[in-house]
Amino acid sequence: MSIFREHKTTADRSASDRARHKQKIEKAIKEGITDVVSEESIIGQDGKKKIKIPVRGLKEWQFVYGHNEGQKQVGSAPNTDIQEGQIVRKGQQQGQGSGNRAGNDKGDEFYEVEITLEELAEYLFSSLNLPELERKKLRTVLEEKPRRHGTRPQGIPPRLDKRESAIQRIKRLAAARRAGTVEVDEEGNEVFPFHDNDLRYHHIKARPKEATNAVIFFMMDVSGSMTQEIKFIARSFYFLLYQFIRHKYEKVEIVFIGHTTEAFETDEDSFFKRGSAGGTHVSSAPELAIQIANERFHPSAWNVYAFHCTDGDNWSEDDTKAFDMYRELSDISQMTGYCEIKPPGSTPAWQKDNSRLFRDLQGLHPSVRTSILNSKEDIWPTFKKFFGGEL
Amino acid sequence: MSGEYLLSDLEVWDEKICEIAKGYGLDWHPIAYETVNYHEMIGAMAYHGLPSHYAHWSYGKSFERTHFMYNAGAEGLPYELIINSNPSIAYLMLENPLYLQILIMAHCVGHSDFFKNNRTFRDTDPDNVTQRFRNAKKRIQGYIEDPSIGIEAVEKVIEACHAINYQVDRRGRTRPSEKELKAKYTRLVKDDKKGEWKHFSLEKVPLEPEYDVLRFVLENNPTLSDWQRDVISIIHEESLYFWPQIRTKVMNEGWASFWHYRILHDLELSDEHHIPFLKTHNAVLRPWGLKINPYHLGFEIFKDIEKRFGLEECFIAREACNDENFIAQYLTEEKARELNLFTYSPKGRKNPDWTIDDIVDSEESWIEIRSELVKSIAGNMIPVIYVDEMKKDKLILRHEHDGRDLELDYAENCVKLLGNIWHGEIKLFTELENESFEIS
Repeated sequence: MSIFREHKTTADRSASDRARHKQKIEKAIKEGITDVVSEESIIGQDGKKKIKIPVRGLKEWQFVYGHNEGQKQVGSAPNTDIQEGQIVRKGQQQGQGSGNRAGNDKGDEFYEVEITLEELAEYLFSSLNLPELERKKLRTVLEEKPRRHGTRPQGIPPRLDKRESAIQRIKRLAAARRAGTVEVDEEGNEVFPFHDNDLRYHHIKARPKEATNAVIFFMMDVSGSMTQEIKFIARSFYFLLYQFIRHKYEKVEIVFIGHTTEAFETDEDSFFKRGSAGGTHVSSAPELAIQIANERFHPSAWNVYAFHCTDGDNWSEDDTKAFDMYRELSDISQMTGYCEIKPPGSTPAWQKDNSRLFRDLQGLHPSVRTSILNSKEDIWPTFKKFFGGEL
Repeated sequence: MSGEYLLSDLEVWDEKICEIAKGYGLDWHPIAYETVNYHEMIGAMAYHGLPSHYAHWSYGKSFERTHFMYNAGAEGLPYELIINSNPSIAYLMLENPLYLQILIMAHCVGHSDFFKNNRTFRDTDPDNVTQRFRNAKKRIQGYIEDPSIGIEAVEKVIEACHAINYQVDRRGRTRPSEKELKAKYTRLVKDDKKGEWKHFSLEKVPLEPEYDVLRFVLENNPTLSDWQRDVISIIHEESLYFWPQIRTKVMNEGWASFWHYRILHDLELSDEHHIPFLKTHNAVLRPWGLKINPYHLGFEIFKDIEKRFGLEECFIAREACNDENFIAQYLTEEKARELNLFTYSPKGRKNPDWTIDDIVDSEESWIEIRSELVKSIAGNMIPVIYVDEMKKDKLILRHEHDGRDLELDYAENCVKLLGNIWHGEIKLFTELENESFEIS
């Protein structure tokens, strides 16, 4: 005879291992993010779109065999109709990579996590803050949103505050007990119904809602020295910035400004794809941004963010003006970010050091942030540096 | 219990099953069935059925994956889960219909008999296994909660061990002591008349290839702290506990299936139970095509042994064999032809078609198929890595190449992880596309 017993389950035993696993996934998502963003268009995403994230670093490594040529496997056919040379598995089904190894395939598929851009933003940005959000006093009142504001004894049923009402009843019950006036039914249970005086209702007050609009200026050097690799990094970085700022504001506008020695407003596509011949005057971009902000996104009503990606190869006669323009731009914006993207190999030796402008900007104002990006791995750290609060 | 039957029904069926099994001479540990719901079932599966097990995120991942695959309809849940312990703990999922519980209970009797009698399991100490795992769990939890150690450090050691945990002495041989080895090789060198041992150094560590990599690390890395040693020993011990199951998968499943089939036949079930039972039985015991189904292969061989030599011989095989010699001894060319065994391989390197190389149509092809079959069972799909030499703190590992190349990405990461518990340089020598290859 065997023993039968109900499983002694004290708790969900794998819960903490699952939680730890989830933590690891989240970390892997953050690390793998740059692989994702490069594929995505910056604007025109409604946040509901699902994207696939290859989650790395969660594999469990063991020694396994691969599939070298001629290496045989054994099968057992359900029917007798097999013969030498017969194709049993078509090449295409194999997928990429080395295929079927020790039961790892399914696990791998599972770890391509599908999440929406909104969820992604939640994952990524929950710990980051928009700096200087409270700095500005000048916020136009766009609309009045009704907000709850305390409770009152009068009101309409839909606004009944059940919790507060229950508290009032308990207070009255406690008083009644002390006075010994609580009724008791046949079974000895206390009978103590709600009284009209217990009821509390939410008080609703219209409160002005602050403007939470933002405009982002994405500025980029499009001169000849900007290689595809540099633009790729810039694009990934801008994608993150856009998602982040959109996550924090209700309405976000984007302005793309490309520049060589002169700046011009453009659309996303040509911003990243088209290159121009010519030299570089960094100053032209902030100058145009200031002009556009004053015309269309007045800083009194808009939160302005401006970011600039360049390879740091500014013409020296422009450095002073560029600094001045940046000073002016930082006065009207919540944050100004200046990035020099210098992948190894694409930067001439004489230009290895940070540019003069970079060094000058570092001391300009706390709202001006600078960073050097050598590879796409630097994107997330830069991001954290910009938005991670205290530096 | 789901509406149609009660726990007492299970007890009634269990009694009948036990009686029939005893009548055949099966001799098993008492079985403790635990009734579980779906979540508890996949929870138990994540930890290999062990009632307690140390914590690691990989078990959380395993839970999520099973849950995901099951809900995606890609996989069914296994019908049975039983562990090698005394008493044998087995799980019955409440959602199962009665006929399935009957099948599982009969199947479990077969497994428990196998655990108790097969000699591969002789050193697994089933009486104390659950206690050992419970203690191990407590100690590792202690290290995780110890502020001077913490979860990250513990995970580092666990992940290194997990990368290499199957690289122990899979045959469970008793190892000669250091002294005995030294004496053996001193004698060989001394009595060396033909000069075969001229270049052999008696100072070499280890003198013989050490197949137990984890133990070698334990014994030769002086920088390990006590808690690190303890974690490594725990995982080492777990690996030795599980290897016999890996080495007898075909036999064990075959034996359990052989008995559930016979016992359910003898139970003379009503059609209401018998028809769904046969359906399930046939679904479990069918050939998988491109892979060997251990239930199917083992079941067919045991049936064949009974036909050729009688039931007595089946009992002898279940006691004396592991999958490797079971197949060598009992799988005949005729049976292999009947099972439509074949070999196949990729033709070319990049995304090639896979075509059939051999079917059982001659003695040569049968020998070829059998040798490939043996490579795919009994844990032979897990590469053999051994410690060849330690020079100061440099660890030299070798892969025993049998025609199959290692998956490079995996091998590199394993070597890297092993660095978490080895204080010096690590080198692994293998072959890749017929050329020697070095990973470090």
